[in-house]
Amino acid sequence: MSVSKKGLALLAALVLALSMALVGCGGGSKGAAETPPPATGDTPAPAPEEGLATIESGKILVGSDCDYPPFIYMEGDQVAGFEYELALAIGADLGYTVEYLPPQNFDTLIASVAAHSKMDIGFSSFTITDERKELVDFSIPYFDSNQACVVMKGSSYASTNDLAGLTVGAQSGTTGESWAAENIPDATIKGYNQTSEALAALVAGDVEAIFFDEPVAVEQVETTYTDCEIIEVIPTGEQYGIAVSKDNPALLDAINTSLQKLIADGTYATLFSKYFDFEPTIK
Amino acid sequence: MLRDTAVRDGRLPRARATVSLRASTRAHLRLPAQPAAFARPSDRAARGTSARAAVLHSALLRSAVLRSAVLRSTVLLVLLVLLVLLLIPATRAFALTTDRVTAAPNQDGGRNIIGGEPTRLTWVGTVEEGEEVCGITLVFPEGCALTEDTYVKVQEMVMTDPQHPLHEELECSEDLTAERLIITLDDPIAAGNLLYVEIYKFCLPSLNGEVSITGSYVDDAGVEHELAPGPSISLIAITGTQRLINSLAQQDWVQAWNSVKFLNIFLNPLWIVAAVPSLFFGWLRSLGLVLLGFPLAIPVGLGIAFLRMSRFRLLRLVSSIYVNVIRGTPLFLQIYIAFFGLPLLGIKPNDYVLGILVLAMNSSAYLAEIFRAGIQSINKGQFEAASSLGMNGVQTMFFVIIPQTVRRVIPTMTSEFILLFKDTSLLAAVGVMEQMMFAKTLVNTAGNMTPYVVAACYYLIVTLPLTRIISIFEKKLAASEGREAPPPDKGEKSAKVDAGKRTKRVGLFKTIAPLSATDSAPMTSTSPERHASE
Repeated sequence: MSVSKKGLALLAALVLALSMALVGCGGGSKGAAETPPPATGDTPAPAPEEGLATIESGKILVGSDCDYPPFIYMEGDQVAGFEYELALAIGADLGYTVEYLPPQNFDTLIASVAAHSKMDIGFSSFTITDERKELVDFSIPYFDSNQACVVMKGSSYASTNDLAGLTVGAQSGTTGESWAAENIPDATIKGYNQTSEALAALVAGDVEAIFFDEPVAVEQVETTYTDCEIIEVIPTGEQYGIAVSKDNPALLDAINTSLQKLIADGTYATLFSKYFDFEPTIK
Repeated sequence: MLRDTAVRDGRLPRARATVSLRASTRAHLRLPAQPAAFARPSDRAARGTSARAAVLHSALLRSAVLRSAVLRSTVLLVLLVLLVLLLIPATRAFALTTDRVTAAPNQDGGRNIIGGEPTRLTWVGTVEEGEEVCGITLVFPEGCALTEDTYVKVQEMVMTDPQHPLHEELECSEDLTAERLIITLDDPIAAGNLLYVEIYKFCLPSLNGEVSITGSYVDDAGVEHELAPGPSISLIAITGTQRLINSLAQQDWVQAWNSVKFLNIFLNPLWIVAAVPSLFFGWLRSLGLVLLGFPLAIPVGLGIAFLRMSRFRLLRLVSSIYVNVIRGTPLFLQIYIAFFGLPLLGIKPNDYVLGILVLAMNSSAYLAEIFRAGIQSINKGQFEAASSLGMNGVQTMFFVIIPQTVRRVIPTMTSEFILLFKDTSLLAAVGVMEQMMFAKTLVNTAGNMTPYVVAACYYLIVTLPLTRIISIFEKKLAASEGREAPPPDKGEKSAKVDAGKRTKRVGLFKTIAPLSATDSAPMTSTSPERHASE
C-alpha cells in the first residue's frame, strides 16, 4: 500500500513538472514577446495609441511564414529579417509590443488575417493584389519586387518559355504560383508549404524550375542554394504591403501613418541598407 | 600560274577541283585530292620529281582552300548586311512587341480559363529601342463581355535596371467596350519599358478553343501601326459544375446559409459543388496508392513475421531491428527521408512509385507483427496434432496454421489498411498529388475550409464501411471461436446470416469467451502501439 502511495506521489510530481515544463515551453515558443527597442533621440516613446482594436490589448500579433530571407527568417528560435525589424519599428512608433506567432503556412495567412481572431496583421512579403484586396486591406507599399525563375545550374532551360509542359514548383498561395499557373502552358505546378521546401524539391529533381520573389531568389541562390541559378527576372512590378483585417481600419491607418513616418525620417532607408545592396525605391 | 589566276579570279570550289585535277594529271596519274603524305612510298622513291610536284600541289591546294573560304565569308557577310538592311523596316513596324497575353484561371477548383466567366486579362508589351508609344488599342475577339465591376489598370514597367524592374502608375485615359480597349497615354512610354495592361472581371467569349487579341498602337509621331500577333489564350466552355455553382450563388437560401460564418467557412454549398468533382480524382489517387501499397506489404510482412520466429538468432535480430525501427519512427519522417534523401543519392523514382514503396515498407512492419501475433496465437495443440499426423514444419505452417491465422488477422489487417489509407495524406507534404493535396490546393484558392470537409467525407466513404466490415468479421470470429471447430465453408456462409444470434450465444458460454480473448490478445496489442507512435 505504502509503495503504491509513494508511486502515486512520484507520478503526481512528474505530471506537475511536465505540465510546468510545457507551460514554460508554450511561453517560449510563442517567443518574441519583444519589448520595443528604446527610442533613439530625445523624444520619449509615444503613449500607446488608443482604439486600435487589437486582439490582445497593447500587442500587435503578427503572422508570417518566417521563411523568406532576407525579409523574414528564423535565427535559431528567433525571428529576424528586414520585415521583422520594420515591424518592431512600427510597433515602437505606435507604442505597441510586437509579438510574432509561430511560423504559419503562407497559404493560410490571408484567410487568418481576414478572420481576425488569431493575428492582427499578416507581415509576410505579401504582394498587394486586387484578388487579395477583396479579402483583406493592405498598407501602403513598403517594397518593390518582381518574380524570378530559378533552375539548377547547367540545366538546358534558358527562359520561362522553355518550361511549357514541365513540372514546376512554387510556395503555395504565392504570386509565383499564380504566375506559373497563368503563364506556363500545360505545366504541372507543385505547391510547397515553404519556399525552402520548393528549393529542396528543385535540388532533388522533383521539379524543373521554381518561381518566387526576385530578392529572395537572389539571397537564396547566393548564399544557400549555390547550385541553382536565376534564369529570368520576370517584370511583374509587385509591391509588398502589410495585410490588415477589414474589421480594423484604425490599425491600418495607424500602420500607414507610421510607415510614412519611418520612410520620411530615414529609419526605413537605414534598415533597407542593412539588408539590401541597392537603393530603396519606396520614397 | 594557271592555278593562281584561277583562285584570284574567285572561281568557286568546283573550278579549283578541275584545276588541281589537271595539275596532277600532268604530274602523274594520281587522284588530285590525295595529299602528298598519302602517296605510296614506292611511288615517291621511284619518282622524286613527281613527289616534289605533289608537295607543291598540296600546298597550293591548301592556300586555295583558305582563300576561297575568306572569299566565301565575305560574300556571306555582304548578303547578311543586305538582309539586315532589308529587315530593319520590318522590325520597326513592330516597335511595340507583345510579350504576354494571358488570362487568370477562373475555374473553381481547376486551372482552366472558362469563357463567359469573369477573369483577369493581362496584356504586356515591350517598347523596342528607338520608339516611343503614345497609345494602344487592343481588339478583343468576338463575344467578349463586360461585367458591372470590370475595370482597367494600366502600368508602366520601368526597365532601366533589368534586375529591378519598377512599376509606375501611368497617366492615361481608357475607353473600354466589349469589343476593344483604347488607351491614350498622357506621356509616351520610353523605349525599353513595358506597358502592362490588366482588365479585371472581364469575360472572354464562351467557347471551347483558342482566342487571340489583336490591336494597334500609336507612336510618338502619331502614326498608327499594327500590333504583332501575340500568343493565343485557350478557353474551355463553361462546365456543368460551374453552371451549377453560378446558379446556386444566385439562390436566396445559399446567401442566407453563407451569411452564417460557421456554415460559410465549413459547409459552403458553392465550394461543396466545386470540390466534389475535383476531389474525386484526388480520392482515386489516394485509393490507388493504398491499393498498390498494401498488397505489396502483405508478402513482405509475412516474410518478416517468419524471420522474427526463425530459429536463427541473426535473422531474428535483423527482422526485429527492421520492425522496431519502422514502427518506432513516424511515417512522416520516413517519407521525408525517402523523398528528400534518395534524390541526393541520384535515385529519382517517380513520386507515386516512391510513395507506394514507402507506404508498403511502413505497413510491412506493422503487418509483420500482426501476422506473427496471429500465428503465435494458434494453440500449440495444433502444431502437435499436425506433427502427429506426420506433417513437416512447412506443411504445418501452410495447411494448418496459416489458414487459421488468416481468419484471425483479417480484422486487424483491415484496420491496418484503414490506417494506411489515411496515412496517404502525409504524402501531400512532399508534393505527391493525392486527396489531401487536391483539397489543400482548393482551400488555397477558396480561402474556405469546405474542401477539407469534402475531403473528410471522401476518406469516410472508404473507412466507415471498412470499420463496419471489421466489426462483422470480429463478431463472426468470436462466434466461430466460441463454437468448437466450425466446418470451414458452411461456417463462413451461415455466420453472415445469423452473426447477431451467435454473438449472444457466445455471451452465454462464459467459460469459452476468456479463452478466445487471451488467444487474440497479442494481435490487438499492435494497434494501440501504432497510435502511440504517431
